[in-house]
Amino acid sequence: MLAVVGAVVSVVVVARRGDAPWALSYRFYVYFALFVVVLRVVYRIVLGGGAVEGETVLIHLPEIPLPEVARGIQLLGDVTAVSLLGALYDGMRLAAIILCVGAANSLANPRRLLAAVPPAFYEVGTAVVVSLSVFPQLAESVQRVRRARRLRGDAGRGVRSLRRVVVPVLEDALERSMTLAAGMDARGYGRTGGATAAQRLVTGGLMLGGLGALCVGAYAYLDGTAPRVLAGPVLVVGVLLAAAALRSAGRRVRRTRYRPDRWRPAEVLTALCGVVVAVGVDRAFDLDPYVVVPDLGSWPTVSLPVLLVVLVGVLPAVLTPPPATDVAGPSSHDPSDRDPSDHDEGEVPRARAA
Amino acid sequence: MLELRDVTFSYEDAGPTLKDVDLLLPDGELHLVCGRTGSGKSTLLGLFNGLVPHFTGGLLDGDVLVDGSSIVGTPPRELAHLVGYVPQDPAAGFVSDVVEDELAYGMEQLGLDPQTMRRRVEETLDLLGIADLRRRSPRTLSGGQQQRVAIGAVLTMHPRMLVLDEPTSALDPTAAEDVLATVARLVADVGLGVVVAEHRMERVVPFADRLVVVEHGHVRAGEPADVLRDSPVAPPLVELGRLAGWDPLPLTVRDARRRSAPLRERIGPAPVRGPRRPVGAPVLRADGVCVDYRRHRAVDSVDLTVRSGEVVALMGRNGSGKSSLLWALQGGVRRAAGRVAVGPDALDPAGLAPVAARAQVGLVPQTASDLLYLESVDDECAAADAHTDGADGRCRALLDRLAPGIDGDQHPRDLSEGQRLSLVLAIVLTAAPRLLLLDEPTRGLDYSAKTQLADILHAQAAEGRGVVVSTHDVEFVALVADAVVVMAEGEVVSAGDVGKVLAESPAFAPQTAKVLGPGWLTVADVAGASS
Amino acid sequence: MTSRLTPRSALVLGVASLAGLVMFLWPLFVQPAAGATRVDQPFIFMALLPIVVLVVVAELTEGGMDAKALAMLGVLTAVNAALRPLGAGTAGIETVFFVLVLAGRVFGPGFGYVLGCTSLFASALLTSGVGPWLPFQMMCAAWIGLGAGLLPRRVTGRAEVAMLVVYAVVAAYAFGMLMNLSSWPFQLGIAVPGSDQTLQLVPGDPVGENLHRFLLYNLLTSTWGWDTGRAITNALLVGLLGPAVLTTLRRAARRARYGEPAVEVADR
Repeated sequence: MLAVVGAVVSVVVVARRGDAPWALSYRFYVYFALFVVVLRVVYRIVLGGGAVEGETVLIHLPEIPLPEVARGIQLLGDVTAVSLLGALYDGMRLAAIILCVGAANSLANPRRLLAAVPPAFYEVGTAVVVSLSVFPQLAESVQRVRRARRLRGDAGRGVRSLRRVVVPVLEDALERSMTLAAGMDARGYGRTGGATAAQRLVTGGLMLGGLGALCVGAYAYLDGTAPRVLAGPVLVVGVLLAAAALRSAGRRVRRTRYRPDRWRPAEVLTALCGVVVAVGVDRAFDLDPYVVVPDLGSWPTVSLPVLLVVLVGVLPAVLTPPPATDVAGPSSHDPSDRDPSDHDEGEVPRARAA
Repeated sequence: MLELRDVTFSYEDAGPTLKDVDLLLPDGELHLVCGRTGSGKSTLLGLFNGLVPHFTGGLLDGDVLVDGSSIVGTPPRELAHLVGYVPQDPAAGFVSDVVEDELAYGMEQLGLDPQTMRRRVEETLDLLGIADLRRRSPRTLSGGQQQRVAIGAVLTMHPRMLVLDEPTSALDPTAAEDVLATVARLVADVGLGVVVAEHRMERVVPFADRLVVVEHGHVRAGEPADVLRDSPVAPPLVELGRLAGWDPLPLTVRDARRRSAPLRERIGPAPVRGPRRPVGAPVLRADGVCVDYRRHRAVDSVDLTVRSGEVVALMGRNGSGKSSLLWALQGGVRRAAGRVAVGPDALDPAGLAPVAARAQVGLVPQTASDLLYLESVDDECAAADAHTDGADGRCRALLDRLAPGIDGDQHPRDLSEGQRLSLVLAIVLTAAPRLLLLDEPTRGLDYSAKTQLADILHAQAAEGRGVVVSTHDVEFVALVADAVVVMAEGEVVSAGDVGKVLAESPAFAPQTAKVLGPGWLTVADVAGASS
Repeated sequence: MTSRLTPRSALVLGVASLAGLVMFLWPLFVQPAAGATRVDQPFIFMALLPIVVLVVVAELTEGGMDAKALAMLGVLTAVNAALRPLGAGTAGIETVFFVLVLAGRVFGPGFGYVLGCTSLFASALLTSGVGPWLPFQMMCAAWIGLGAGLLPRRVTGRAEVAMLVVYAVVAAYAFGMLMNLSSWPFQLGIAVPGSDQTLQLVPGDPVGENLHRFLLYNLLTSTWGWDTGRAITNALLVGLLGPAVLTTLRRAARRARYGEPAVEVADR
């Protein structure tokens, strides 16, 4: 079941990724996911644990006694099929999340994501954009300064000589930031009326309310003995209040967007697919938990309806237009490098439900 | 229309930078602001859009008006739609990584609707001839293209005035010509008012309608020919006109050439140029030097010989491999092929330890401040002495010779452009290298500072050093060089005596040569012949 | 954004930090409902933590951000993002906190908080390291920047550098521990009836028991390797480069003049 999720995500990625650098990073996520699964199983073997009488023992390992400080730790010991399977499933669950996030990361253009940030984060978004564009200059500056060190007859190595690189590079960067600030200000950055006192009060109230609700909700959620009304619903209220606060905070920014990204049918379709999968799997869990979290004793089963629901996730790979790989790059205004990300945002909760 | 009424401005703890300035700059004309380094040109420019005093601090008295309404106290952002300001280094001001978005940025801040933005972006791309760059990243463009993108980025806001701070100082002659032609077209076709501050007046004077001279805090404005009569800074053409007593002064080469017949008769044939000073044995022999950057060959089989007592100028477009060649000669950049031999022992600096290499070859890089990392001028000098055997106090002594009167407690980054260059030069010269290399040293220097630098380099050559200067500045080459090497695409395309090479190339001919014919390089040549 | 926090921002920060702490420390407090078959707190929190981080960032920049602060933030973020891969992978050398601590000290707690967030975010974008761990890292880094800004102002000179070195060491270990805490339930699993393992989180156990198990896990997996490496590198960098970098940053801060208008207009 989890393997199917992983496969679905991979198919979408392979079918619809561009050739930009971030698109090629999916391989890294796959490796990392595999690593997590292996690590999980290795931990289980090394830290051993509670073989229950009567289970199939796969390997007999001697148990290493430990001093009292380390009470609770059991090194090695018998490895049973059940405990191994449990570790494997847990590892795969995390791996599936990593794959989903990795897919979103490799299909979405990070800069376009930044261009789509809500107005409340306009300033911080701009700061990140600035830092991304300053980044290559910084590398160049480091190279220049390192070369210049030779001119002063300085062959020193070690942390002390780092100063000769760090100070000029930092001075250079800060000087540049002042030039940039002057340039941005001269081009109208930040010419907004600002919010009225009443608006600010509303924003602040919403923020505090939202955060407070999140706090209470999170605590109630953890404490199984607290009334359930305080858990789920309060968390939802907290999220809604926070969203309202962000909306309210964003109203002060009066600014338009050049060539905004629009939702086209392909994007809506992909997002819908993601939602269908997430909701479907969550329902399936309520109906038959063992499809999603396999029983440790028996062979994992997959029911047909659940399989079909998950396979809906493949649809975007076929139904959306392929990315125009020749123009892939920051300038690409091609819809397909956005839509799979929406799709995967839908898929993350799906894995979460799994 | 910009207007200053009785403006006095001073930075904290300093006397007034501008005193009782009254100035009126109408629309539809090109105004050239000029003056010595540090005379307050940038301050004057900053006043027009509020950067001064909002970004610099300081005390402003008087009134600044844009289109008749006072803007004192208004921050730059609220003036963005009235005054378009392009800073000195356009690359440092780019916000996005696509040209099109860069052009739209200002309009987004103004809150214009998408249709208008789309239309203005297209119009501006066409107006500036950068439509084919629309999807490029502004940082990967050449200097001239960057300048045009930066101008476009403020033009889309449809400002009434355009303010440009040294738009051509980093550009080679051809790129500078392109940018200025674009600006002139904006004045002529769009009726925009443009204010340009520029040290290399010879480039802008032919396009200027009015000249604004800043001197000791006072400002004078008027017809270029009138103001130039006694302006503290003047291009070689005007110096020549003053020498010959022409009235009104010539502003274009063609103008001067038409009137030059009597002068030519008086001074006779061009002098036969001998060496400025005795030259000795070669200090540098480079054969077949190649430098590769990734898959691209930056320097391709360059041969270069520099003799002691000789000043060689290295010229060529931006990106033609000048800097790479200098670094390869110093050993800081790896050579892909070729040999470099310095001094009588034919040492290769690339194979020496930094301290030993420094005694053979000294290099002042393009961004000279890369060398500075301490908190005061005295600390920097002491560190330079420490890296050289038995050189106590030598660096400070050199600095006092190059630029007297620098306070030792000052932070090196607070020095003026010229002072900082002097400090770095002093640090480099502390090791008494046989060969001195300078990469674009004239940025931000006015005419007299350039003359001073030329004198310093002549003195170094007279001490038996070989000197190589890479520069775009034709007039500076005419002033300083004995021989010229022109590079293009990493190769040497012409080399030889300064008179011969400069005369051969229309792009590199100094103004005096353009007027009086090859052989006459500087106004000083003419002055020598006519006296 | 100013170098001082307004009471309101401080309140939002406080509540948000509390919420953030709950989301880090939940394994120690969790009380499962009777008969629960799955534990999905971690997945819910993975989704909620970004919201908490974002709300605080929105609050801190709520009054609009001055172009100078913004440019400074952008450039320092780039510096941090550039420092990060320098150490990645090589024996736990982790350089990212060095500038963060110093910048937080010079520019104040609010700036430090936002810088922590943006630094980790930008470096994740640049190295394609976006993952479920990112919000946790952002929150931790933000706390480090915030804490550096809240250190006593009166301490100057050598004492200041010493204080920052100690802070950097503490921050390095705390960061490692919190990040471990956030990944612990994933790495070792959560005990549910039927799969029993030592060292793992047992929901419902007393805080002390789980804490003990966690500390052992922490000690075994990373304290001696990465955390110590990180602590040493950061302490060395702050100690040796701190004075010079502080001077540089303070010069810049003077020029940028945070918070107060840099304008004086004479009466006309």
